[in-house]
Amino acid sequence: MATVRKSKGRQRVEMAKMTKESNLQVTFSKRRSGLFKKASELCTLCGVEIAIVVFSPGKKVYSFGHPCVESIIDRFLTRNPLPNSSALQLFEAHRSANVRDLNLQLTQVLNQLEIEKKRGEALTQMKKASQAQCWWAASIEELSFERLELLKVSLENLKKNVALQVDKLMIEASNPATFFPSNSVGAVVPYDSQVAGFGPRSYDFGYGGGRLF
Amino acid sequence: MTRKKVKLAYITNDSARKATFKKRKKGLMKKVSELSTLCGIDACAILYSPYDSQPEVWPSPLGVQRVLAHFKKMPEMEQSKKMVNQESFLRQRIAKGNEQLKKQRKDNREKEITQVMYQSLTGKGLQNLNIVDLNDLGWMIDQNLKDIHKRIESLNKEAQSQAAAAAAAAAGQLIKTGGKVQEEKPAFDSMDAIQRQQWFVDLVNPNEQMGFAGDDMMLPFGDNNHNALWPNGFFP
Repeated sequence: MATVRKSKGRQRVEMAKMTKESNLQVTFSKRRSGLFKKASELCTLCGVEIAIVVFSPGKKVYSFGHPCVESIIDRFLTRNPLPNSSALQLFEAHRSANVRDLNLQLTQVLNQLEIEKKRGEALTQMKKASQAQCWWAASIEELSFERLELLKVSLENLKKNVALQVDKLMIEASNPATFFPSNSVGAVVPYDSQVAGFGPRSYDFGYGGGRLF
Repeated sequence: MTRKKVKLAYITNDSARKATFKKRKKGLMKKVSELSTLCGIDACAILYSPYDSQPEVWPSPLGVQRVLAHFKKMPEMEQSKKMVNQESFLRQRIAKGNEQLKKQRKDNREKEITQVMYQSLTGKGLQNLNIVDLNDLGWMIDQNLKDIHKRIESLNKEAQSQAAAAAAAAAGQLIKTGGKVQEEKPAFDSMDAIQRQQWFVDLVNPNEQMGFAGDDMMLPFGDNNHNALWPNGFFP
């Protein structure tokens, strides 16, 4: 079965001004963002100071600077060596600490994102497996009239059962004592939240190893 | 060239740091150049490092001065509107990352609950679900019912319009040949609505198994299982 490609993937780009205006703006946007990201990484990894100024096709100006755009520009234009006061150093130390924290935060977010993406892929695989095994997992457009009717009835049924189960859990939650009779010495069996279904959020598919059936 | 994930922190090893610096500096200048060429825009880069007393620039010292002159001519507000430093830039990236994370989690949750729904239809019980799962499941069932309802309606409409069109064509045919037409298909008018639909559906889905035999239906569950997709009394 042929895989459907969402995009063309990485293509080689010719190093000349782009002809399509529509692509040009998109390219500028993406590449500018990537450029600033690389500059930011270089500053973090190697402790350098940098300024980048770019003009957009729409005549707007974007700039990135570390420690800041203006100081780098001034330093370049005046060609004066940097003053090295202790106050300045302290200021820079604070700023660096901030940046370190932010880099850590960013790393965390990106890691979590990667985990969730992988999880998404696994779930997509599970869906494909279901589709191979049960016809009701197919997309609605693919189902015949009869199957649609069947599925409708089953879902309506399931909906009723879900509502019943919800009611059951609500009752159990508000009246734990009635479900746990005391033993012979009068002590009450402790209420176990797991039993009532207020357990961990993620649903365990229960067939071990993620298999469906 | 190995693609190891690099930790986003200052490289303490001197030689490693210098090597990384050389590679990345080269790459960065190349990227500035590409951006300028591809998009036909003005750009410049100024880099101060501990490895060189003079700044490294792109495109050239003169080129940089030209771009900076243009930059300084702009109103202050325009200059600072899209100006970022490490802190603000990182904050932006963190915010975007969080947005993407939120969306990905939402998508994953939908996929997960859909799986739960499919499994519940096979008769797997609802006891393992907590109240949040049950609520989400209820919502997903409603969404699916909505879509199914829409689809059934549209199929009915199609069947009706096709029936009308075919009836008109058949009538036209009859008139043309003076009433003597070799009708290969059963006359539409004599069918009732349901038969017509069915006939149409058969036409549209020639490969669909119309019967209930075969590996389609297979899920074992007992009589007392009310979620089951194939309740006993169903087969005609």
